Amino acid sequence: MNALLDLFLGFLRIGVMAFGGAYASIPLVQREVVDVNGWLTYEEFGNLLALDELTPGPILINSATFVGASVAGVPGAVVASLGSILPACLITMILLWFFRKYRKLEIITEVIFAIKCMTVGLVSVTILRAISNAILLSGGALGFDPVMVLLTAAAFLVIRKWQTNPLIVMLCSGLIYSLYSLIVS
Amino acid sequence: MTKGKKIRTLFMTMLMISSTANSGYAILSVVISTFVRKYRWITEEEMQDYVALVQGAPGPLAINISLVAGYHVAGFWGAAAAVLGCAIPPLVIMLLVSVFYGLIVGNQWVRVFMHGMQAGVIAMLADLVLGIISATTKERKWYPCLLMAGSFLFAMLVKGSSLPLVSACILIGCIMYLRKKGGEKK
Repeated sequence: MNALLDLFLGFLRIGVMAFGGAYASIPLVQREVVDVNGWLTYEEFGNLLALDELTPGPILINSATFVGASVAGVPGAVVASLGSILPACLITMILLWFFRKYRKLEIITEVIFAIKCMTVGLVSVTILRAISNAILLSGGALGFDPVMVLLTAAAFLVIRKWQTNPLIVMLCSGLIYSLYSLIVS
Repeated sequence: MTKGKKIRTLFMTMLMISSTANSGYAILSVVISTFVRKYRWITEEEMQDYVALVQGAPGPLAINISLVAGYHVAGFWGAAAAVLGCAIPPLVIMLLVSVFYGLIVGNQWVRVFMHGMQAGVIAMLADLVLGIISATTKERKWYPCLLMAGSFLFAMLVKGSSLPLVSACILIGCIMYLRKKGGEKK
């Protein structure tokens, strides 16, 4: 029972401070999970990060599940995950309430406008990192991967012009690239 | 569609989206594609406002977006359904994967597939960004561009949390409002 409470509180703490996306969350998780509570070793934490790459879902829920399960099985995973998203839900609800009440206020419109612009900047960095990882680093002789460039361009066209569901586009690009690799190898 | 049906749809759709999309922005993109463009339950502008709104909250973008979208469509239970639909797949999948860890991480085809998916991810993010850029630069030019460039630089240089950036933008937004009001009084 104690273990479940510790898990819940530990991930609640992480959840409250989890601002700024995945990159910012990882050190928070590491501090709580490895340093403070000793639930995982550094090596096991590394495994967790590798798994997080492969599985869908945010690092917060993935790490809560992984740690919770290794400490206290399925109940541990559920309790830890709950703790991790509770702060997010509460704060978002509060923000939403404020927004709905005061959205007509011009100052809110201005602030939201500023944050929209900020989002462009942030997501652009994400895009650049993704391009560097997926297209450049795997380049081989040319320095970039022409197949990935073509695939990305095609995916962009399909999403932009025909408004295809991005999920389908992502799965298809994964499939096409796998087939290509199969043929080439 | 009745409210009950909407709530069920929210749950099932988020369940499906969350099982495959591998980042908050991917989930956002599919949420837009489904709830904004396909079902037309939320307008594009409202959705962009929501995205800006949740920047101020901690936690995964996926969860926060599910919450606001779900609430917009069907109130409290809509929000609950959407969040549950979003949270359950990673929980289940991670549990399964951690059991079969050796098998999956070692499998090169999983890596190859994930790698290929990145093409779709990049395209999807680019579409999202272009949408916001065209919406914000419709009436004003230099202010949004400056803000975007500044945020871009900040994100490139600073590795940690984006909270100081969010706070700065909130401040800038307030200043711009006061400038506007000051200008009107003249």
